[in-house]
Amino acid sequence: MPSKVGIVGIGHSKFGKRTDATIRELAHEAVRPALEDAGLTIGDMDASVIGIAGEEFAMQGAPAAVVHDYVGMGNKPTYRVEAACATGSAAIRTAWSLINSRLHDVVLVVGAETMTKVSSARATELMARAGDTRWEYPFGITFPGFYALMATAHMNEFGTTREQLSMVSVKNHKYGAMNPYAHLQREVSLEEAMKSIMISHPLNLYDCCLISDGAAAVVVAGEEKARQITDTPVWITGLGAASDSMLIAERPTLTGLTGTKIAVKSAYEMAGIGPSDVDVAEVHDCFTIAEIMAYEDLGFCKKGNGGKFIEEKQSYIGGKVPVNIDGGLKSKGHPLGATGVSMAVELVKQLRGEGGNRQVSGAEIGLSHNVGETGQFVFVHVYSR
Amino acid sequence: MKFGYASWLPETELVSKFIEGLGNNKLLGTKCKKCNQKYLPPRAHCKCGSTDLEWIDVPNKGRIRSYTIVSFAPESMSRYAPYIVGVAEVEGGMSLMGQLTGVTPSTLKVGLPVQIVAHQPDTDRIVYKFKPA
Repeated sequence: MPSKVGIVGIGHSKFGKRTDATIRELAHEAVRPALEDAGLTIGDMDASVIGIAGEEFAMQGAPAAVVHDYVGMGNKPTYRVEAACATGSAAIRTAWSLINSRLHDVVLVVGAETMTKVSSARATELMARAGDTRWEYPFGITFPGFYALMATAHMNEFGTTREQLSMVSVKNHKYGAMNPYAHLQREVSLEEAMKSIMISHPLNLYDCCLISDGAAAVVVAGEEKARQITDTPVWITGLGAASDSMLIAERPTLTGLTGTKIAVKSAYEMAGIGPSDVDVAEVHDCFTIAEIMAYEDLGFCKKGNGGKFIEEKQSYIGGKVPVNIDGGLKSKGHPLGATGVSMAVELVKQLRGEGGNRQVSGAEIGLSHNVGETGQFVFVHVYSR
Repeated sequence: MKFGYASWLPETELVSKFIEGLGNNKLLGTKCKKCNQKYLPPRAHCKCGSTDLEWIDVPNKGRIRSYTIVSFAPESMSRYAPYIVGVAEVEGGMSLMGQLTGVTPSTLKVGLPVQIVAHQPDTDRIVYKFKPA
């Protein structure tokens, strides 16, 4: 039986095109408030786990070492974790394991990424290289392209509409406009979202998440320590992880992520809950179709009904399961390594009742779903008060 | 000859053989002699761990499972944009990614029967592509 692990401190940098900072300053911007929130100093940390997806984006080899030193961790042990866009969640899972192994008791988790230091064309190129460089990249497939393949298949099989895709974007921008840390704090109308330029048909600009810089940090501690540190720890009560084939063509279905279904089953079992128990969720909306598939694969609705779920506003506050009410990757931004940690920060706020004008009243159970690549890395975490 | 519209990986013996097949209008996969798993594109090693694989001829016909029209291409592919990338199920249950040409907005659809043919995008490059059967 694993011991309980809790989050005792949270911090978040402003996400955006941060010309004023490199990855080290962004990390500092997230780590300082996380320590302050926990009422601890950097010297109280036993180790750091640092999630950064790409050195080419950071323009720095082994960037985690720079972050570890810059935030003042000195000679303490550090681990760099990478799981593409799911890097941040992999880092939290690693911290949980380190604490349960009794190697460390208090671990600082930092997720950080700078992506706007390179041009958009270069960023598209770097992300395309995360596809299989032998049998996928040579055809010119891009990351929006991979998810567009899933969107075409989903629309064809279930009748999901162009309008329903845009409705996800409208929702996430609505909540992103209320989040001071979000990259694009602006609402968009359905008409505006539907009319934007095509990136990879059927996905247009407003179906795609932003390319952002940012960092997020959490302080994670074992049960006894967590209770000493704070009266309001948020516990990690369920964990699930899975993978999938490297080549997307090899998969029997293109209308969902098998890894999500496997990971969430483990996480629900470990937490002893089911989908109807989730009060608030952070899901991986790198593209609008990804959020629609997540509703289905996480069990919030039946397979094929994801389009209807957003159309009926079931993922708004007041609906069945409020989803991405911090703006999601779409409006808050998606600095790869930071995203999974940012999801944890939002859920901790919600479970503490510190969500402000975005608070889900009485939220007790939160779920995060973070996907790397096109499902080769999937992490689901369940959090409880 | 190099494989694909863009790539920088070295052409291994496996890829060279695949390219040679394409040059002769043949689509070559591999099959594990131990567990009978078939691979298209080919692999040198089976996922079961076996290194004992043989080459097989795969029928060059398929059906489009999904597609996208890429408008925003990676740097290396910008001169080709826009282009259609599809996933086609090849007869025999295997699936391939590739570019699709020769379609119009009214003929482009999931389920479209396609032929898989060799194509030289450049003097030193070869690839296969899908076109309506």
